[in-house]
Amino acid sequence: MKRTLLFPTILLLLVGFGCFFLSASAASRRGAIVFCEAGQIHTLDPQRMTWMQDIRVALGLWEGLTQYNPKTLEPMPGIAEKWTLSPDGRTYHFYLRSGARWSNGDPVTAQNFVFSWRRMLHPSTAGGYVALYFHLAGARAYFYSLVHHPRHHLAFSTVGVQARGPHELVVHLTRPCGYFLSLMAFPPFFPLDAGSMQRFLTHTGGFVHYNARWTRPPWLVTDGPYYLADWRFHEYLLLKPNPYYYDRTAVHCRRLLVENYPDAQSAFLAYQSGTVNVLSFIPGNFAPALLHLEAAGARHDVHYRPVFGTWFMDINCLRPPLNDRRVRQALAMAINKQAIVEDVLRLPERPVNVLVPPDSIPGYRSPAGIGYNPAGARKLLRQAGFPGGRGLRRLKFLIIGGGQTAEARIAQAVAHMWQKRLGIRTRIVQEESKIFHEDTVNHNFDVDLSGWYGDYRDPTTWLNLFRASNPNNHTGLNSRRYEALMREASRTVDPQNRLAALSAAEKLLVSDLIPAIPLYQASDGYMYNRNRIGGIRPNVQLITLFKYIHWRNHSGAAGAVR
Amino acid sequence: MKMYILRRLVQSVLVIFLVYSATFWLLMATPGDPFLGHKMPPAAILAALKARYGLNDPVHAWLAYMWRIIMHGDMGPTISYENWTVLDVIRSTLPVSMALGAMALLIGLWFGVAAGLMGAIYRGRWPDLAMTVFSLLGISLPTFVIGSGLLMLFSVSLAVLPAGGWGTFSQLVLPAITLSIPYLAYIARLTRGSVLDVASADYIRTARAKGVGAAGVLTGHLLPNASIPVLTFLGPATAGVLTGSFVVEKLFAIPGLGQVFVNACLDKDIPLVLGTVLVYTALLVLLNLVVDILCAIADPRIRLG
Repeated sequence: MKRTLLFPTILLLLVGFGCFFLSASAASRRGAIVFCEAGQIHTLDPQRMTWMQDIRVALGLWEGLTQYNPKTLEPMPGIAEKWTLSPDGRTYHFYLRSGARWSNGDPVTAQNFVFSWRRMLHPSTAGGYVALYFHLAGARAYFYSLVHHPRHHLAFSTVGVQARGPHELVVHLTRPCGYFLSLMAFPPFFPLDAGSMQRFLTHTGGFVHYNARWTRPPWLVTDGPYYLADWRFHEYLLLKPNPYYYDRTAVHCRRLLVENYPDAQSAFLAYQSGTVNVLSFIPGNFAPALLHLEAAGARHDVHYRPVFGTWFMDINCLRPPLNDRRVRQALAMAINKQAIVEDVLRLPERPVNVLVPPDSIPGYRSPAGIGYNPAGARKLLRQAGFPGGRGLRRLKFLIIGGGQTAEARIAQAVAHMWQKRLGIRTRIVQEESKIFHEDTVNHNFDVDLSGWYGDYRDPTTWLNLFRASNPNNHTGLNSRRYEALMREASRTVDPQNRLAALSAAEKLLVSDLIPAIPLYQASDGYMYNRNRIGGIRPNVQLITLFKYIHWRNHSGAAGAVR
Repeated sequence: MKMYILRRLVQSVLVIFLVYSATFWLLMATPGDPFLGHKMPPAAILAALKARYGLNDPVHAWLAYMWRIIMHGDMGPTISYENWTVLDVIRSTLPVSMALGAMALLIGLWFGVAAGLMGAIYRGRWPDLAMTVFSLLGISLPTFVIGSGLLMLFSVSLAVLPAGGWGTFSQLVLPAITLSIPYLAYIARLTRGSVLDVASADYIRTARAKGVGAAGVLTGHLLPNASIPVLTFLGPATAGVLTGSFVVEKLFAIPGLGQVFVNACLDKDIPLVLGTVLVYTALLVLLNLVVDILCAIADPRIRLG
């Protein structure tokens, strides 16, 4: 056995230590703020990202024409130090700072924006937010000409963006857009440095695109507060201050490590043991207990608040009996949302009867919507020809994930309410996310549980969801009245009147058409010690600007770390 | 022997091809679309993405992926972590899983053999009983229970070891122990049984009769013969443990291949699943071959060919 066990032992020792030294080169945590994300980074290409964690990192690495004000999230000057808007509200002149530089020292020019926007409008870039670009005059036509006639497409000069010299960018819009400056602070509109990307240009299968490795250090060149010093797969991203950033003196964090723990419980343990300084989420299973401790004054690091998201149930309006809106209204009236929030979730969420989170958009007045009314629900169901639920088939209630998740508990509670109050039976089906999304896109469900987080501060980020042409409209709603109201709102130039028109459109949705039943406004938050870490401002859009994050005692030295 | 190895290598290539094809077509047959997410882009964008990954035509993709692997040794970009190619991902996660797996197996091997020997030597007495109870627990308790227990004890209550992550030796200790327990328990039972088997063999009695001392019998006759079942078990166990454990990696936040593989399946990340399956198959086939050769060296009665 000496002989026979010796060989495997030596082999295992060699493999073990060899691989360990090969893989272990952990970044030093000395002085670093360790920021734990809720999910893995999917991409650092600002034009491909749709996930919150990707967007958060992009906001630290890049800067657009504007940037978010850390307090109000209103747009304020970024790479553009000033701008003018034409009287018809359709032409912006942006004037770029002469001091703006990329992390390799090159100046940031108007051409960088033109290059980036042109790339976004190419279908092979496959930018998830390309529809936001259709505010630019001619952009939609240009994009679809590339899709349908790749050989004889329109010239890029038909798109309303031009560089006039290195520091002036002129942008023409199809119609006035009140939140356009806000969009300029959003990653898909960030500039890109064509020079450093050139070597990644590839032509595969007739498609011209950039090899996605261009976003990896040391190749990635960015123009924001930080540059990407290191990125180890599934381990961490290391951000260090960009020495060429024009506002370098505002950046006080010398090293920022962005990590992700695949298991929320492990992340919480790491936070409790001090390995991680900031959690960008409240670990689900512990949330009720943590919030209770915070409310009782036993903890001071749970920062939880309502955010710019709504949880609702999509109803498939294409299939009988749900194509009858009286049935949909009855379903909505039979749900006691207060009970769901208090007894099922046990969280201080706010039940809502509307889709756009109330009080989250200045100047927007939320309509009333349909509340809890079991008697009214029974009456409507009787009128629709299904007294006491008789004659109704069993409804397929689709939810995401597996096991006893929050979604599953909500679905069970709702199913119970429908059964008890209306006599409607349901079949709850849990599916993995990719299958769930396939089934919702193909309308292969009756009711599903869904959430939507707004991308920009305007009601249309929700209301567009229910337009017939929107690929995210899983409900199949195609209402002439609703389309007319939305078109009218988009033609309205005056911001107040426009918001009023949008409010009327939402009223039609939530009190009459009911393609979806709103449940509650989403809440989320952070965990961090306010006395040690500053610069995080939990806000309604959950945007953390890494630019402002810092150790409270300003030395940033090791003593301050643990 | 040379012919035997050559024949086995040719067989291995065939096995790998079959596994690759079966995985590919199973992936095609499962529901779900890798490019669908919570926020749906316009249809033109989805089409462009499918084209980029060559997935518009399954037969074409099946051949094209294989061709690319054989000709360029490249498995293309992943879908869920698009800034990293499949090779990038395997390069950075496989060493992590291998290091952890090797350490776990080493612990399992030595402590398992020691425990098994103790059980056999003190057969029917309390060390044997303790070993039996321990190995029963080790085999039946799931790793997430053992791991969570160790985490609570050493990271939270005593705060002597880090809760997770990768890069330092202290971060290796808890996951390696957690991962080793089931192997340790199994090897202990295996060793105990086979030592008891061999101890009653005629040649042991002969050796004793010739006047060989207890230590001489143990090291010269008993252990070499008793270790063969352990070695046979080590082959597939090594392949399994080196390619990573989803549960342990998730629990201790270890950037290993096991987690990547399971998530790739859930995300329907076709190139990444194919890549990890290929690596796993190749390792398994190779290690089985190595074990067969090792067994032939350890036991002259085993003839290869």
